[in-house]
Amino acid sequence: MQGRSTLETLPAGKDAGRAALDHARAALGRIILDKDRQISLALACLLARGHLLIEDLPGLGKTMLAQALARVLGLSFSRIQFTSDLLPADIVGVSTFRRATGEFEFQPGPVFAQLVLADEVNRATPKAQSALLEAMEEQQVSVDGNTRGLPKPFFVVATQNPADQIGTFPLPESQLDRFLMRLTMGYPNEHNERELITGQDRRAMLAGLEPSATADALVALQAAAATVHMSDPLVDYIQALVRQTRESPNIDIGLSPRGAQALAAAARAHAYVERHPGVYPDDVQAVFTAVAGHRLKAAGNTSHRDAAELCQHVLDSVDIP
Amino acid sequence: MAKPRGTDGSLIDSLPWTLTAIGFALSAHLPYLPVWITAAFLACAGWRIVIERRRAAVPSVWVRAALALICFLGVLATYDTISGVGPGSALLAIMAALKLLETRQRRDQFVLLFIALFLVMAALLREQYLWSLPYLLVAVLLVMTAWIRMSAERAEPLGRSLATGGRMLAYALPLAVAMWIFFPRISSPFWSVPIDTSSAVTGLSDRMSPGDISSLSQSDALAFRVKFDGEAPPPPERYWRGLVLHDFNGRTWAGGGPIGNRPATEQIEFEGDPVRYRITLEPTNQQWVFALELPFEWTLPRTRMGFRQQLYNIYPIDQRIAYEVLSYPAYRNQASVDVRSRAWYTDLPGRTNPLTRALASEMRARAGSDQDFIRDVLARFNREDYYYTLRPPALGNNPVDRFLFDTRRGFCEHYASAFAVMMRAAGIPARIVLGYQGGEFNPLSGQYVIRQSDAHAWTEVWLEGQGWHRVDPTAAVAPERVELGIAGAIVDGVGAAWGLSAPSQVLHRLVLGWDALNARWNEWVLGYGADTQDTFMRWLGMDNPNWRNLFLTMLAIVFGLVILIGAALTFRLRPPDKDRAAVLYRRFVRKTGLTPATGETPNAFAVRVSAAYDRAEKPVRALTNAYLDTRYGPPDRSALKRLETALAEIPRFAPLRARELLHKSGEAP
Repeated sequence: MQGRSTLETLPAGKDAGRAALDHARAALGRIILDKDRQISLALACLLARGHLLIEDLPGLGKTMLAQALARVLGLSFSRIQFTSDLLPADIVGVSTFRRATGEFEFQPGPVFAQLVLADEVNRATPKAQSALLEAMEEQQVSVDGNTRGLPKPFFVVATQNPADQIGTFPLPESQLDRFLMRLTMGYPNEHNERELITGQDRRAMLAGLEPSATADALVALQAAAATVHMSDPLVDYIQALVRQTRESPNIDIGLSPRGAQALAAAARAHAYVERHPGVYPDDVQAVFTAVAGHRLKAAGNTSHRDAAELCQHVLDSVDIP
Repeated sequence: MAKPRGTDGSLIDSLPWTLTAIGFALSAHLPYLPVWITAAFLACAGWRIVIERRRAAVPSVWVRAALALICFLGVLATYDTISGVGPGSALLAIMAALKLLETRQRRDQFVLLFIALFLVMAALLREQYLWSLPYLLVAVLLVMTAWIRMSAERAEPLGRSLATGGRMLAYALPLAVAMWIFFPRISSPFWSVPIDTSSAVTGLSDRMSPGDISSLSQSDALAFRVKFDGEAPPPPERYWRGLVLHDFNGRTWAGGGPIGNRPATEQIEFEGDPVRYRITLEPTNQQWVFALELPFEWTLPRTRMGFRQQLYNIYPIDQRIAYEVLSYPAYRNQASVDVRSRAWYTDLPGRTNPLTRALASEMRARAGSDQDFIRDVLARFNREDYYYTLRPPALGNNPVDRFLFDTRRGFCEHYASAFAVMMRAAGIPARIVLGYQGGEFNPLSGQYVIRQSDAHAWTEVWLEGQGWHRVDPTAAVAPERVELGIAGAIVDGVGAAWGLSAPSQVLHRLVLGWDALNARWNEWVLGYGADTQDTFMRWLGMDNPNWRNLFLTMLAIVFGLVILIGAALTFRLRPPDKDRAAVLYRRFVRKTGLTPATGETPNAFAVRVSAAYDRAEKPVRALTNAYLDTRYGPPDRSALKRLETALAEIPRFAPLRARELLHKSGEAP
């Protein structure tokens, strides 16, 4: 496969991490067709040290995206299938008694991975959900009174099925806030769908994928992404957007200051992914729906069908300074 | 077509500020202006506010013309003239008031603010005290603030308007200082500001009736300041001679004019050590020049010593002057008194003060000699119960009789007058000297401060063989007046009026400090005239500081400062690259003929522009990238250069547009 390279052949030096990022992005684009936007948002989310919630129907490549991310970025991966009988211990792990040593030994749960895919997170009980959400927030878990740090970087990709609401526990708004971004995948276009049907098996491709980066390189990339220049007019723009969400008659609850911080961090990371020298308004707009969509509460009388439309309306009513 | 007369209410935001600025500028004139002008101004201001609130029409041109004529005639009637500071400021106030009634747009308030500045300037013609400086600064700052609030697009925060106004003043300050230093001062100005002589100056007059000086002694107003070269003479020797009164009508002493032009020092024997000092005399509107008895030399042009050893200037002193004097406190006035003068100096109007005359004759007969008689009279003041007080009872006809025999309470003029009358009654030539006595030392400025309250009257008598010599009868009654000064002698003075036994120490120090500050202000700022400027310029190294050289220097310095300040401002206030980028980008947008939608990013717009025009993509792409880098990227000088280049390479879209679109649609499949 052309363009495939190993870590050894990646350019060294200051831009090594950057090049690895571009490389990873290209590799992801080959596996997940026609989803450039989602890929760069997912990467931005990762670089901004945030967690990702993917909300869409089954079979649209949610799991594939998560697995591919872990693969190309060289992260350890685990998957938790959330079900209604899932217990917190099934996520964080248990201590078991070892007869041989006469001591309790901690068996780390699936959450002890650098990239955790929480599949169908809304199927589990709030208790199990909160075990995961706490781990996301604290970057550590407490088992039997011992605090155990989670690996770094720690990145959770949770998926939700919005169509199937029977017997589910939708995440409350306060917990949605823990996710930096919420994405939808959407259908591929005709041409790409044909490619999916006729082309190579995606799973085989995934298995053959070489990692483009390492966990350590990713940590360095996260640090670099946080330092992307943000100019005054751009801060003005972010503030204007936030103000608009608070003042718009279509929106009951606007963005909180934490939401504004999230927007800035995500925009920075996106600018980094896009190789912009500073954060452009395009970066803010690109991440706005993903960052703000699940944090806004639409007013009851609004004519906007969904969060994406609401966010677009906000974007369309704020001048770019 | 009728012109619109109504107001659109656009003044409502800035009008209060304009009114405040004018009101503040006017307030310095209020004490001097007739009440009706203040009333007219307030009425017009109120009228204007009502007009603005109700969106009403401004009065018609006929009404305004009639009002202007009435007010003009009013000023003419009040002052009889329209020139001078008083009528001038009155006219300015009227102009401001009436202009309010025809101001239609915000920008018309320029005129009002100009009038306010003129009023502030006119206030300087009235008074140039140190305390007026903060007032002037505040007034100008208010005008600037009003100006900025008038010009501001939207209502900006007050703090920012004030800051901008203050900053503008700060920029102007170096220019003002340079012009003040270098503007050529001319010793005899060929123009002259009409000084407002109508305002009364407290001080000695050339007449003395009972009660004149005691009323003066209530005044804390400054008479003059003195700085001694070396030791000051002790208080009993500090008699500041002013004018001499010799003509008595039974109640009032008057003096002849300052006649005579011969050096009156020829009959004087100057003895002992001289005292050198410098006096800064406040304006008196009189011709008298004060100096320690007895002046020998003085550095004041057009000042002579006339008859009776009076120093006088040929013009009334209508501004503060400073001069140096050399005096001999020990002197002997050997002037002879001929028969005619003797009659003159012993003249008493008939049938006045008969009791005093009788007493004098009797005492003279008993005394034996003139010297003994003088001693007896002083002893009588000293031993019998005569009192020294600021509030002597009123005296009717024959005031000397009534004072000597009934009330026995008097101030220096009572004692001097009574003493002189007794001398004259006994045939001894006597006259009254008016001036000041003592003075307070201000340790903070090293100067003596002589106030109107130090005003004093004493006598001179002529004795055969000894000439004129000074006798101060007040010293016999209240020696502490001469020893300690007025404050020591009078316990029912200012402090008593405030219910204080004595002014507090702190207050006193404050007063002294303020006085020292004022002295510096007078000396260095107000006293910066032709001579001082000449000295200063020579010190700076200018060989020949004449009018022409000074003026050219001033122009050069002001020009240099303007360039310097201008450059500094340009450098500091140059918009950051990212703002400059926004300006350039707007230019590009205008060129495209398209309008970015709200929330359309430059990239999205670039796509739209590229789609609309042929061969536009590359330059538009380059420009957009340069713009994004300049405006949103980290500071980078080259990005702005790229943006400028890119903008220059953008073709003129608009004229091409229609053809290009046609071309495109023709190509479409």
